[in-house]
Amino acid sequence: MQENYLAKWLSGELSEAELSEFKKSDAYASYNKLKKVSGTMEAPEFNADQAFQKLMDERIGAAPKVVALHPFKKFLRVAAAIAILLTGSYFYVNTLDESVTTALAERTEVVLPDNSEILLNADSRISYSEKNWDEERNVALKGEAFFKVAKGKKFTVSTNHGTVAVLGTQFNVENREDFFEVTCFEGLVSVTYNNTETQLPAGSSFVVIDGQIMDAPKPNTTQPTWVNNESSFERIPLEFVLNELERQFNIKVKTQNVDKNLLFTGTFSNTDLNMALKSISTPSRMNYKLEGDNVLFYAEKTP
Amino acid sequence: MDNVCEEQVFSSVFKANSKTVFNYIYYKFGNEEKAHDAVQEAFVKLWENCAKVVPEKAKSYLYTVANNLYLNVLKAEKVRLKYAAPTLEHSNESPEFLMEEQQYKEKLDKALNDLPENQRTTFLLNRIDGKKYAEIAEMEGVSVKAIEKRMHLALKTLREQIDGI
Repeated sequence: MQENYLAKWLSGELSEAELSEFKKSDAYASYNKLKKVSGTMEAPEFNADQAFQKLMDERIGAAPKVVALHPFKKFLRVAAAIAILLTGSYFYVNTLDESVTTALAERTEVVLPDNSEILLNADSRISYSEKNWDEERNVALKGEAFFKVAKGKKFTVSTNHGTVAVLGTQFNVENREDFFEVTCFEGLVSVTYNNTETQLPAGSSFVVIDGQIMDAPKPNTTQPTWVNNESSFERIPLEFVLNELERQFNIKVKTQNVDKNLLFTGTFSNTDLNMALKSISTPSRMNYKLEGDNVLFYAEKTP
Repeated sequence: MDNVCEEQVFSSVFKANSKTVFNYIYYKFGNEEKAHDAVQEAFVKLWENCAKVVPEKAKSYLYTVANNLYLNVLKAEKVRLKYAAPTLEHSNESPEFLMEEQQYKEKLDKALNDLPENQRTTFLLNRIDGKKYAEIAEMEGVSVKAIEKRMHLALKTLREQIDGI
């Protein structure tokens, strides 16, 4: 008798010979009865139409309910997206340079990773990479700043006018529109302007106004005067003096019948506006009117 | 080609298979309520994945889902089956005969409940739902030969139980 012959018998797959042999066996009657009775069995009631109606009404028709079953999944998806954005921006921000900016009429002091100090004058901005500081001491400058550089590797100040490189010293860099001035107070400073390098020993200045390298006077102080709340000028066109006045007091300066190319030598206070206005107007033979944040300089009437 | 996402097709798949899905789970676990739930769950899954399931695969997809639903969770309960009402011919039988019949059915019920779940499911799908071995093999995801083996063992065990061998 072949394998699984009972199954074959039930499905009518036994050969004639096998079937007659099986029929002769004692168990055949029992199996036949089992086949007969089991053929009359029934499973519990199942109403397909009712079940379909239920399916459509409660589950598929009401589709939003199905969505609402997984609010946490949706939340997780959003949370994951936010987490990725946060980590991404954290790493992005981390690679950005450090930067310090001063507003008009504001000054601030910055201590660099190697304890070099920077005094930042009004309306100026420096930026540097804290991460790469050990490899490269480089500060980008817009505006004016006084540097006290700790001894060490080459220290460079990049401006849009030129580059200033030093080893360890004290110097001032002013980088304004059409105005570039480097003054060395201690040590040796190397200024690269238009691809020409100039060595600047202590107590000397390098000035460029409107693209013209000027014959610069020697400073007689150990620090730029603005560090002590004064702005000093020696043979500087009035235009740049007035620009500095605007920056120090956050005011608007206008002129009337005034030659702004006149050279100005003198000092004005960075703390007392009235004093400063007098300091500028008297030697230049001008009058001024102060209204709120606006100052008008006008030529003295000829007697 | 037909798509299960079309309500017409989905509805006909339901009409053709829901009863068998119900029975299939019922034979396995003997729990009517769970069998009803299984039908709902299996068809909701089919509807949600209607784009991914081709109509030819819908049947085996339904059994897989229904089966996985209670796998290892539900303990089999007693399967209670109904028997066809005795025909008029039978009612003319002697009371002794009727009593014997009744006793036989009770023995069969008990023997069925004592069968391993996969043998019982195979046996009942064939005897009650008239499923061919090949169909059962597809539903259970095994070979036809394995189903024949289950059927053979089911018959053998049932007969032994009933005859008290």
